[in-house]
Amino acid sequence: MDVFRDVFRNPLGLTVPALTILIVVFGLPTVFFFFASLNAPEYSLSNYQAFLYRGANLRILVQTIEVSVFATLICLVIGYPTAYLITAAPKRARIALTVLIFLPWLTSGLVRTYAWILLLGDNGLINRTLLDLGLISSPLALIYNRLAVYIGMVHIMLPVMILPLLSVMQGIDKSLMAAARGMGARPFSAFWRVFLPLSLPGVRSGTILVFVICLGFYITPQALGGLRDVMLSTLIATQIATSFNVGMVASAAFILLAIAAVMLSVFGLDSSGKQAHPDRSHRKDRPKSVFRSSVLTKGLGDRVRAAYWARELYQQGDASNWLALAGSVFLALVMTFLLLPGLLVIVMSFSGGAYLEFPPSTLSLQWYQSFFGDPSWTGALWTSVQIGLMVAVLSTIVGTLAAYGLSRTTPRIRSSVTICLMTPITLPAVVVGVAIYFGMVRLGMLGTATGIVLTQSVGATAYVVAIVSATLANFDRRLERSALSMQASPLQTFMRVTMPLIRPGVIGGALFAFIHSFDEVVQTSLVSGFSIRTLPLKMWENMRNELDPTIAAIGSVITLMPILWLVALYVTWWRAGPSARKRWLNT
Amino acid sequence: MSFPMNRRQLLQMALPASAIGCLPLCARKASAQPAGQLKAVVGGGRFGKAFVEAFVKPFEAESGVKVTAITDDMSGAQIAAMVASKNVTVDAIVRNQSSALELSQAGQLETIDYSIFRKEELANIADYCKKPFGFAPYVYSWNLVFNTRKFALGQPRPSSWADFWDVERFPGMRTLPSGQYGAAGPWEEALLADDVPANKLYPLDIDRAFASLTKIKPYIRKWWTSGAEILQIMQSEAAEFAQSYDGRALALIDQGKPVEIVRNQAKLTWDYWVIPKGTPNVANAQRLLEFTSRADRQAAFAQLWPQAPSNSAAYKLIPDRIAHKLATHPDHVGNSIILDAAWYADVGPDGQSNLQRLIERWNDWILR
Repeated sequence: MDVFRDVFRNPLGLTVPALTILIVVFGLPTVFFFFASLNAPEYSLSNYQAFLYRGANLRILVQTIEVSVFATLICLVIGYPTAYLITAAPKRARIALTVLIFLPWLTSGLVRTYAWILLLGDNGLINRTLLDLGLISSPLALIYNRLAVYIGMVHIMLPVMILPLLSVMQGIDKSLMAAARGMGARPFSAFWRVFLPLSLPGVRSGTILVFVICLGFYITPQALGGLRDVMLSTLIATQIATSFNVGMVASAAFILLAIAAVMLSVFGLDSSGKQAHPDRSHRKDRPKSVFRSSVLTKGLGDRVRAAYWARELYQQGDASNWLALAGSVFLALVMTFLLLPGLLVIVMSFSGGAYLEFPPSTLSLQWYQSFFGDPSWTGALWTSVQIGLMVAVLSTIVGTLAAYGLSRTTPRIRSSVTICLMTPITLPAVVVGVAIYFGMVRLGMLGTATGIVLTQSVGATAYVVAIVSATLANFDRRLERSALSMQASPLQTFMRVTMPLIRPGVIGGALFAFIHSFDEVVQTSLVSGFSIRTLPLKMWENMRNELDPTIAAIGSVITLMPILWLVALYVTWWRAGPSARKRWLNT
Repeated sequence: MSFPMNRRQLLQMALPASAIGCLPLCARKASAQPAGQLKAVVGGGRFGKAFVEAFVKPFEAESGVKVTAITDDMSGAQIAAMVASKNVTVDAIVRNQSSALELSQAGQLETIDYSIFRKEELANIADYCKKPFGFAPYVYSWNLVFNTRKFALGQPRPSSWADFWDVERFPGMRTLPSGQYGAAGPWEEALLADDVPANKLYPLDIDRAFASLTKIKPYIRKWWTSGAEILQIMQSEAAEFAQSYDGRALALIDQGKPVEIVRNQAKLTWDYWVIPKGTPNVANAQRLLEFTSRADRQAAFAQLWPQAPSNSAAYKLIPDRIAHKLATHPDHVGNSIILDAAWYADVGPDGQSNLQRLIERWNDWILR
């Protein structure tokens, strides 16, 4: 016990449980996997050579990067103005919009991909509407091409882009913009020279996160894409299914990993979710050409600007009304894009036909009956709930301990350990899955509930650490010290002072851990060994074999679940008191 | 700052932790497969459901064995990995011919115990369905399928793979199965379209097959990878012509969809039950296989899902209306070709099987 006490008294010791799970489940297998790619024990680069010699692999590699870059750019182009408009909205609207952005993110990715199949299909909602309106005479080819891949990927990734942007933009002091305007800057240059540079940390986190996650996509491109839309992850998954050449799979996985790692280390991921020194980064990151051109035109520009400013003071009403309207229309379009597929799934779940149709020709509850009446579906649901709860409990405990320990170490240690703990959710899912798979084979845990819980906990812990760390960032340590000075033991202090104050973060983390587990399909499908069927696995199986509206029914149930979570979160947040609420809003 | 723990402390820390980690694992392993249980992978969708109704449920009732039927597909490589890791989590799997053959050549399958099969049933089962490494409970075919709304009765209709390739006489989009898994690719069809006589297909001329596929490639809307996709494509009329499993196409026809199935140049094949080496429930798996060889069960299956029986006695129990739909019905079988799995599993001098050769070639060709 003494050992334990010593370990836990040291702040870093608190990260030991989380790191142990990470290393055993993901770290060591990754190392072994890396050696396998090098043909250990002979050590050669033959697998990599074989991979790169094949023209097809290179083309897939280039295509994977190309698709990821474009998907990320589209997310940024749509996401930045969206986040900006939400930040500028009145408080109530801002909270409502943030929740609406959040909702699709919490909905199963499988259900959303599935919704797009039905929206974009030749018989889908879009083609049907255009045909009915007489705008087209034969269905447009919207599905099974690159465009459909982008639509599906952007739909899934857009919230991931917007949320970091929002958190940074909300932290920007609005009076800086007002000051710039007061000094005569036009709205655009105030935005360009003040707001944009300050928001760059959010752009960086969002872009990197989206790009790296895109690298690992394969279910969406496979379902929506055409002949050539093969991603490296598709290749890895097919390799696992067909040849199982470990060296081959490993070299493909590590090449993908290398791209992700290069991106992460070059651009850096602000894992703490806070901007350390926005003013400094602003100075560094400001585009040089803009700076120079403004120096050149400065003398000339001053007078023009003064005149313009005077004119603008009297015209402001008109222009801003027009802008506000354009902004609202844009926001409405983005929200429609994000929310429509979910609504579509809910409507379709009441369809009465034998196949999925939109709009449904007749209404019935048959698919809910077929869901709740089929033991293989309810069994899968029950399995998922059990596994989800185990994952939530395990990862909340180890994640909270780790976050608490990290909050008391030096910033350098904190950031490097946090980055380690984040790897399972920042690296391409299929690479993490393949590494864990080989680890589970070694541990003999393939197809066991323990194996699945550990696999999912690795990712879930990352979410818990991220959320609890954000809560702890604003935690006043003096409260703990005063409790300790009044003879409270460290445990008592934690349970009676720290814990109640960070409770919203811990509960939020637990909910995210549960949702992560409830939605995970790529890694789970690898480690389940076909003997344990979670709900997403059963859904995926169903999607590949028989598109019946049972998926729409379960999809609706899953879509409504996040709303219940948000209500739960809101209740705990409300009960935490006004000061905690304020802190929570700021994080 | 200095590292807070020395190595010994870390070890002391890690040992109990790893012991705790092992506990639930050991407990699970012991109880993972108690006697009287069986896990079987039986294929997905409505096919899988019919399989469970016709075979799995009656078997449970008769034997008392609790069967977990997994209605999905498991690839040969996944079976190989499972056997190699000595972590066999599934006891009986339905696999396509060439994959079963490949696994058997790699020594990853148990031998089927035909001594527990009923003599009178075995006598009615063709030799190719009762191999030492696997037992085939049904036979099916790959067929040309087209949309009847575009090609109504009275108009010229496609009747061969040459017609499928003839985009001028039969304009419209096509869909073919993806060749990414090697075994289920449209290789024979591509060669038939290129005027290779049906009796001279094997050994397949890979170069010629890809040259033929290159001609049709611009008219392919999607290389489908799963049964759901072919249903979705024909259902939404995203393509006018398809290569489909007979069962999926017949299911669409039964639902009144404008779909017609062409019997000429159908590709006959069958799937084997295989038992992965090292499964703890080998005896129960053998019993399940025996059960699926019975004529009455196969007849029940054919009535739930239009899949031809491997036991010819089953035809006596199937109404004519349904029997005529089945791939091995005398009216159809003469116009069909038979898939030769031995060619696929054949390993060349370079150590690669034809299956692997096809997969590699496909991955390269698809991006061009």
